[in-house]
Amino acid sequence: MNARHLTIIMHKEFRGLFNERTILLAVLLQLFVAMFSSFLMVGLTSMYDPSSLSKYSRFRYSIAYAGNDSALREYLDASPDFNVYDMDLSPAVAALKERRLAAVIYAPDTAPDAVDPVKITLYTLQNDLQSAIVNVKLKDIFLKYEKDLRGVRAVRLGERPVPLQLPPSRGGGDFYEFVYGLLIPLLVFMPAIIASALVIDLITEEYQHETLETLISTPVSFAEIIWGKVLACELLVPVQAGAWLLLLLINGIPIRNVPLILLMVTLSSGIPILIGALTALHYRERTAAQFIFSTALVVVILFVLALPANPLNLLTRLAVGTAGMEQWIVLAGVIAIGALLSVATQWYAEKTGRQHHTG
Amino acid sequence: MGALTDIATIARWEVKRTLTQMSKDTLPLAIVLFVLLILVTGFAAQSGMHLQDGMYEAGVDDPAIAQLLASDNRFSVYQLDRATLEQNRQAFDIVVMEGKVYGSDTERAKSALKTVERDYAKYTNRVYNRQDDLYAAYPLWIDIQSVKSELDFLATQSGQYISARPGAVAPVPEGEVRAIPSPSPALGFSKEDLRRELAKSETANSQISRYTDMLSSDTATGRFRTPSQLSPPLPFDSIILIFVFIFPLYFTSQFFMMSIMNERIERKGEVLLSTPVKTTSIIIGKVLPYLIGMIAISAALTVYLKASLLIMLPLIPVIFFFLANALIIGMVSRSFKELSFISIFFSTVATSYLFFPSIFANVHVISLISPLTLIILTLQGTAYTFTDYLFSTSLFWLTSAVLFYVAVANFKEEQLFSEKRLLIRIREFIAESLSRTHPFVSLFLLNGFAIPFVFMVQLMCLVLFFNLPMPYSLLLLLIFAAEIEELVKAIGIYTLSEQDTAFLSWKNLFFACAATAIGFLVGEKLLLFITLTQITESIFGSILFLSLGVLWMPLALHFAGVFIVACALKFWGRAGLVPGLVAATAVHCLYNLYFILGWLT
Repeated sequence: MNARHLTIIMHKEFRGLFNERTILLAVLLQLFVAMFSSFLMVGLTSMYDPSSLSKYSRFRYSIAYAGNDSALREYLDASPDFNVYDMDLSPAVAALKERRLAAVIYAPDTAPDAVDPVKITLYTLQNDLQSAIVNVKLKDIFLKYEKDLRGVRAVRLGERPVPLQLPPSRGGGDFYEFVYGLLIPLLVFMPAIIASALVIDLITEEYQHETLETLISTPVSFAEIIWGKVLACELLVPVQAGAWLLLLLINGIPIRNVPLILLMVTLSSGIPILIGALTALHYRERTAAQFIFSTALVVVILFVLALPANPLNLLTRLAVGTAGMEQWIVLAGVIAIGALLSVATQWYAEKTGRQHHTG
Repeated sequence: MGALTDIATIARWEVKRTLTQMSKDTLPLAIVLFVLLILVTGFAAQSGMHLQDGMYEAGVDDPAIAQLLASDNRFSVYQLDRATLEQNRQAFDIVVMEGKVYGSDTERAKSALKTVERDYAKYTNRVYNRQDDLYAAYPLWIDIQSVKSELDFLATQSGQYISARPGAVAPVPEGEVRAIPSPSPALGFSKEDLRRELAKSETANSQISRYTDMLSSDTATGRFRTPSQLSPPLPFDSIILIFVFIFPLYFTSQFFMMSIMNERIERKGEVLLSTPVKTTSIIIGKVLPYLIGMIAISAALTVYLKASLLIMLPLIPVIFFFLANALIIGMVSRSFKELSFISIFFSTVATSYLFFPSIFANVHVISLISPLTLIILTLQGTAYTFTDYLFSTSLFWLTSAVLFYVAVANFKEEQLFSEKRLLIRIREFIAESLSRTHPFVSLFLLNGFAIPFVFMVQLMCLVLFFNLPMPYSLLLLLIFAAEIEELVKAIGIYTLSEQDTAFLSWKNLFFACAATAIGFLVGEKLLLFITLTQITESIFGSILFLSLGVLWMPLALHFAGVFIVACALKFWGRAGLVPGLVAATAVHCLYNLYFILGWLT
């Protein structure tokens, strides 16, 4: 293996990429996904915890209370979120339709300690963001009321849950699991997938554009050609993953162990890239190679995700800073599999290379 | 008749070629992989996804609580005695001592606390559900009655506060009051039904099962919920299910792209082009197998999932959209790398457009811009109207049609086998679709047909900016909408002037601008007329489609915008394009601002 030959091949591939400006598309893609994930984050949070958007919290929503008196009524009155009016059901619902109210509650005439449950009827607007917010706010009040009723009926309960006293909710921490437990591992690993699709393109292109003979007639060996392409793709991974992490850091998302994450991604991306190279060497035709490779990739990723302490999980734990000693074991495993695949690739490339020279 | 036989022949070839190509040695391996996939899915369902394992660290003194926390993989639980816990409190995200939970002050700890909260709620639910006296454990039930507002979209943009400010007296409805009978206090469901439903919503959080049996789990108890179930219904399961439908479409359109690309590699398709078969027949013949395949796969999936076949209605325009884009992508990319990158880019953008709005399917009308929302609604058993269908699919129908036309116009030797840069090729594609002899008619048509694309991009911006705080979202939308419109209007004139620099005489320039402006306006009006009334009534809509009133004002605006760009092109050539666009956008924004401000006050 000649280092200069490898560099020549890598140069050739990078030049191709930059000439076509395809790399620009990849950058655009990153920005686009980043933009949409922020949209998703804000959207989901505002649905689950509307108070996280301060603009909603300063309003008092008008609601109507119909039917019989209950402890619920007191909770509603005490709440800073609601303005409660006593109304008859029919005009209240009509006012709701005209958006003069945010919700209507009807309470039945059921005693707190009755055998039957208390059935509250809640009228809200269909398909409406505001009523989604009102529902979330009402939920807290209903929960309090449920707790009271449960207390009244406690004598009728058999088994009790183990008591656990939680501190009052302080807000915050909503994005955390989404960002660290999903976004970061997926985004950081995406360059590896792109790179392995790329290596298939680079190899099959030589076959299908019939440019391989020219390349083989140079002093560069076939195995060197393959390794040059693999390394070119491999080099793109830390650059792209690093760009992701930088984008996230600029967005004010602190990430721990950045160098370790990059190391981890670069090493584990070797596995899909080598699988891609092997598939491409075998099929020499893009449609088949990409098809088999993407199916295989789905199988592998699903399998890996189902394993405890998998590399993707490790990325999460590195990013939040809870990774322990086991990270080195995982890393060693990844390197071992990568080494095995490298040997396989070398063997297959040499074999194919001999065929090309004789045939 | 001849055309039909041609199409059939070409479709047969296409199928045969794909099959021989595949069966060589791909098929056995593909079968092995599919078997593996099923096995692995089973394994994953058994062991669960381990992406978030060990994110949090918890120290606990009580074995029962340790067990409770350890059942959630996200926690690494350390059972220690009290003194040690007390000493090392900072080492943990949360510490549980004597039944009390303490959290530290980091973001991670806050998130861990929320997780504990949810886990504990799930645990108590499990305990309560085992009670003999179900109504002692669940004494409160909420019956949710959805009321349809008469003022729909108008008042609800981004959920801002619209209902009247709270006053001292109860509001009095202006309209007619229809008598509503008092709801009966009885639940109307047996305890067993309720218990089953509760058990279901408890397991609903187990990782895989919730996707697989979502269709059968149509709630027996309907709208009845306990307070803890009272969250806005995020149609998460249906969204996952939708991926099941979309994924095969990606795969198949990849094959189609490759087939088109293969015709171009080493000029293999030349033979086909030299036959007397019309290009329309060639393209239809090549598309047909994939179209049928996609529809068959989707229908099979629908039947397998026992869903209503109505799902196919919104899916078909999406299928056409994918095929049309695949055709164009296969025709413009020069190399496999480029094909990969463009197709990845396209699928990400398309997925975002289709996927993200549908998350809000139960919350907001805006979600209807994605046809997938209609699928979710069908899955949930909610009916949608014909207008809804038109609203969310018309853009897909129209853009697909336009793209197919462009493909047909360009499916010839000099276009297919050229090796020029991507942007130049796209420009040539547009140029080829324009008629040389009737440049003004072409400009008129080009701009008219560009409208669906403009709307698509603008709606995407609308979705994107929807959740930003109010003044910023409006401002960004304002600028982007203007920018996009000016860009699209400039394309036609730019292409013509690139082809023939002498084209831009003052007379031609004037007529070209007029044709562009009128084409744009007519397209806009027509499409608005058909579909977009829902959005146009909101303040966002009024920015995008401001111009419902007087006709000559928007016409003048469109003319002025494109005139600025055209003049820039005339004086400085290609270099004038960007400054011209900036100036035109500025004018456009000012005009819109003036009207919005006027509209607001």
